[in-house]
Amino acid sequence: MHNVMGNKKSIAVFVLPAFIIYAVFALVPIAYNVYVSFLQTDLMSPSKFVGFKNYINLFRDKTFTGALKNNILMVIGSLIAHLPLALFFGNILFQKIKGSHFFQTVFFLPSVICGVAVGLTWTFVYNSQFGLVNKFFEIIGMGGLQKTWLADKDLALFCIIVVVMWQFVGYHMVIQIAAMKNIPSSYYEAAEIDGASKWVQFKSITFPLIKPILKVDAVLIITGSLKYYDLVAVMTGGGPNHATELMSTYMFYQGFRTLKYGYSAAIGVILLVLCMCSVGLSNLVFRTETIEF
Amino acid sequence: MKLSARERFIMILKYAALLLFTVLCLYPLFWLLLSSFKTNTELYENPWGLPESFSLGNYIQAVNEGHILQYFFNSVIIAVAAVLVSVLLSSMVSYAIARMEWKLSGFMLQVFLLGMMIPVYAMIVPLFSMFNKMGLLNTHLAVIIPHIAIAFPMAIFIMNGFMGSLPREMEEAAVVDGCNIYQIFFRIIMPISKSSIVTVAVVTFINIWNDLLLPQIFLTDSAKMTLPVGLTEFQGQYATNYVVEIAAVIITIIPSIIVYIWLHRHIMEGMVAGAVKG
Repeated sequence: MHNVMGNKKSIAVFVLPAFIIYAVFALVPIAYNVYVSFLQTDLMSPSKFVGFKNYINLFRDKTFTGALKNNILMVIGSLIAHLPLALFFGNILFQKIKGSHFFQTVFFLPSVICGVAVGLTWTFVYNSQFGLVNKFFEIIGMGGLQKTWLADKDLALFCIIVVVMWQFVGYHMVIQIAAMKNIPSSYYEAAEIDGASKWVQFKSITFPLIKPILKVDAVLIITGSLKYYDLVAVMTGGGPNHATELMSTYMFYQGFRTLKYGYSAAIGVILLVLCMCSVGLSNLVFRTETIEF
Repeated sequence: MKLSARERFIMILKYAALLLFTVLCLYPLFWLLLSSFKTNTELYENPWGLPESFSLGNYIQAVNEGHILQYFFNSVIIAVAAVLVSVLLSSMVSYAIARMEWKLSGFMLQVFLLGMMIPVYAMIVPLFSMFNKMGLLNTHLAVIIPHIAIAFPMAIFIMNGFMGSLPREMEEAAVVDGCNIYQIFFRIIMPISKSSIVTVAVVTFINIWNDLLLPQIFLTDSAKMTLPVGLTEFQGQYATNYVVEIAAVIITIIPSIIVYIWLHRHIMEGMVAGAVKG
């Protein structure tokens, strides 16, 4: 057995192709990206080493700090929108209700649809002339509430957060249901015998026991919100006047529209650090709270 | 079991909430489907109702003038190539990590799983520069290769978990019968891991099919673009011809929905499993 499983040559054949691709096209670029972030470069003419200047300029750049603020709003908005709503539906569907599987499948559906298509669909829904939102206000006789939703710099970001919610509530719900299924059913049977209501069962069994997953899910929402790109790129392109710019869209703009690659790479490094911080935080939380059934 | 009046009332409330959200999920898509058959005038005057006729004119225009089939074809090439390579290579690594006997296997697993938390934004500028020097910019390879690398962490996480839980007896019997490692892997392990391979393949496919960023950056020639980029081009060219754009969106969504209806168990399982670790 060991001759077959411990053969150095066959191990190399199994591991090296993937590892080389992964190292060359993922690990090396990350390290190289940190280096580029210290340069002033358009990748063609000779580049100049400028130290931390890109980072200093970034934090003086009103558009970047605006994008950072939008990302934070996005994180907060997504947390408020996703966790309670997903938990609400998750808890209903977890209790062997008729059609549970059907509802789960339907709620999950938007998260597999291409972000560009979702963004375009909602630009039509928000359209000021024929969009459903304005027509809806017209029908219920509140035409005064009609707006040019995505062109309004105070409303555009909020409108996008609604779409994010539409797209991903079902996804987070399924994660939470998966956690609920791990709770031994004997707990609920015992509660049932003691006459505990469904609400008490949720409050004292389900919620405390899925708390670790809720924390992981929260981190997922945070890193997810940092990485959003498609929706904003399609719905507003960061506009009007950079009002909905995110770090990701601003990075694309700086790197591939104005060709300031060093500046763009610095935004990439900041995003990487933010993602790693939130994942590190989750590992810390996760390790301290493992529940044994 | 008979429900009391109060319980029945709560039950009705629950179903009302569920149905409301079902409508919210499906209605925008359904509205889009209906709108795709309308003319622009109908869209403005009668956004809620049924179209006057279910003519395919908008679709024909999207295909003929909007080059949707070309984009569709490009998306298929990129997604299929990347999925095949990444599934084959990552299943081999997963097997080596789960079963073969070497010192660095645990470390190798950590290195691959680390990739789950890395945002693609932290590597696109260097990749652009590398592909530029290698002359790969504006070729499909420039999109396929990074997608393969990005797919590894999630794929290895899922398949390593599955392969680690398989019983060892079959491999032992195969070794006794004189099989070599390649026969064991391709004739025994691959077939019995089919369900996890399908999960990984489908989730990877969806991620690549939906991706906008990489093709947008690495491709410049519109004849090589994928569907998501093609849709954004539509936005510029047909700024006022909404119904054709809507038809193009429907063409993009339909394959995802069909695959979802067909394989939704795998998709839900895979997307949730891959995410919770990251």
